[in-house]
Amino acid sequence: MDTMLLNVVHRPEMVPEYAEKVTGHGRTEDITRESLLRESLDIFKTQQRLAHENGLKTTIQMTYASLFNEEAVRLAKTHHAQFGDEIGLTFLGLPCQEFRDKYETQEFCIWMFCLEDKKAIVRDVFEKFHACFGFYPESTGSYYMDAALINYIKSAYPTVKCAVATCWEEGPKAYHTCNNSWYTFLDGGPWAPWIPSTANTHAPAACEAEDSGIVAIPHLSRDLIACYDGNGSNFGTHPQNILRGMIYRDGQYPYLYNLIDQFRYQARFNDGYAYNMMFVGPGWMNKMGRWEAPYELLYQAYADGCAYYGELKKKGKLVDMTMGEFAEYYRDNKTYTQPECALWRDILYGSQKQVFWYCDPYMRACVNMDQGGALVDLRPYAAKLKRPVGVGTSHVQDASYPYLIQEKYRAGYFTHYAGEGTIRSAKIIHGGEEADLCLCRTKAHFSREGRDRILTLDPVDIEFDDLTVTLQTVITFEEGSSRIRYDRKIIEMSDPEADVAVDEYMVACYGTTEYPEDMTGLTLSLGRDDENLELDYAYRSRERAMASADYAACVLPPIGTRVSMTCTGRDKAGYFKEGYAFSPMFTLGYTGKLRQEEVFRTWLNLEKAD
Amino acid sequence: MAQSGKGRLNYRCPSCFMRDLDIDMFYDDDKGEYYCLRCQYTGTEADVLEKNETLRYRYRDMMKRYGEEDFERFDD
Repeated sequence: MDTMLLNVVHRPEMVPEYAEKVTGHGRTEDITRESLLRESLDIFKTQQRLAHENGLKTTIQMTYASLFNEEAVRLAKTHHAQFGDEIGLTFLGLPCQEFRDKYETQEFCIWMFCLEDKKAIVRDVFEKFHACFGFYPESTGSYYMDAALINYIKSAYPTVKCAVATCWEEGPKAYHTCNNSWYTFLDGGPWAPWIPSTANTHAPAACEAEDSGIVAIPHLSRDLIACYDGNGSNFGTHPQNILRGMIYRDGQYPYLYNLIDQFRYQARFNDGYAYNMMFVGPGWMNKMGRWEAPYELLYQAYADGCAYYGELKKKGKLVDMTMGEFAEYYRDNKTYTQPECALWRDILYGSQKQVFWYCDPYMRACVNMDQGGALVDLRPYAAKLKRPVGVGTSHVQDASYPYLIQEKYRAGYFTHYAGEGTIRSAKIIHGGEEADLCLCRTKAHFSREGRDRILTLDPVDIEFDDLTVTLQTVITFEEGSSRIRYDRKIIEMSDPEADVAVDEYMVACYGTTEYPEDMTGLTLSLGRDDENLELDYAYRSRERAMASADYAACVLPPIGTRVSMTCTGRDKAGYFKEGYAFSPMFTLGYTGKLRQEEVFRTWLNLEKAD
Repeated sequence: MAQSGKGRLNYRCPSCFMRDLDIDMFYDDDKGEYYCLRCQYTGTEADVLEKNETLRYRYRDMMKRYGEEDFERFDD
């Protein structure tokens, strides 16, 4: 395996999450309680000690509250001098008496303040940091950092070059898990470090003009299959998250090490580069215990996590960096259009399911091999959607990047009773029978040719009454092209002269949650030469087709996106379907014909609408 | 009847956990049982521990240690 890069981040959070609300149950709230402050600092010291004992340097992200604590400041300076730890600044941990007195609010999520308050808090926190340390930080972060916030920080404090900027797939699922009380709607972002665009943090920059000036890292490295359909806070490189998920027995949690190792494995698909980060808030090592886990187990899990990273480092399989160092590495070794790829398997449920994630400045996409290589998640970053969040905007809490396809929220292949769910797949049709490739379970192999990242799927058999077809799918992500190519090739048929029909389709819509959005305003179209057929979406279930169409497209003004399909297959005909109120989707597709050894080729293309 | 408290550890409702809901339970000292505020689950500490073990049925690979070359191996 190649080398993995690691960021270990600690924060002296003087009023840890949950400390007052959960473990302090039965007491009147008092965030100035001396015992609380003492314990919080002790946890920070413990975390630092465990990292250092295992030869790992850390990034100490000072919280606003900790800047008022002389011991916390002194510790940071000492560890910087002694261990090479970086002293950074986080917007987590804002709550303290000084903050509440000054801003007269219990709000603590920086991205949800109005823009003027964001700016005032940034100035306040950065200047306080400077007063403590005599310099401005190189790294910052929060659970989410919206584009306006990052742009302001970079303009006012250009020393900043790295930030913790999102929690991967922490959206409606996290909200539900927390009894609809955890307002971090952050779906649709990258799972690995990226350079945010100035327009939208979740959408990577495609060029220098779009570059926000920082390198973003995700808050935790999360299981790319378990988190997609489950609580993100159970399945990450956060030892106590594993305990929260009850993924342990008798104090043993091999899943944690499997998770770290599978991230190391991703170097094979990313030019030898792999990344991990561990960022555990002090609240997770509370002396009162957390969830069912007593303090002893919480401590042991963190100690074991640090020990495993330390062991990898000793073996030369891991390099620990501070956030600032990592940002420099990233700038030196990555290009804007270079994608992040992850061929990921289930390592927990024993299902042998396999998915492939792809992320570049134009899209984030997920291919599910257990559904024949269907595209099950698609975020059109090509639109670079400006979508401000926080008080005073139309999205106070919802920072998610909208999807076109999201099989968990919007059904996917299986629907109840009627209608369709979002997915991009194909049907093979013969003699009045049809088979959807979503029901053909297979596995993929990754390869690279020049700027193409290629997934070659194991061939699948499709059995009709009088014909068996062996078909192979090859999916190609062309770097910088903003499109995905699907090739379907018949390898073999029981009747070599047979001519089967193919229907390549995508069912899509838009949104950020499970609930439908208004589809009025969308425009469907088919085009060929000078001919252009358009239809305004009105929930009337209309369908149109065009022989030899050059494209089938949909423009979605609410997310500034134009999505289209194009094709080079034999006897091709483009089509679209409008959808209706019970099935608020649209379908784009191509039908055509396919013989043995023939290839039917389609592209899914993403563009900024205007 | 006195107000309920948190109990010895911060147990969550095992029934809600199965539907991806983390709901802390409260402890009724008079009845000697934990109870969920959201659903109808009630149980002793022993019952909670038993249910917590039961719900791990879905983690079939929970205790398996993958080797470095196992991530694309599907032949077992």
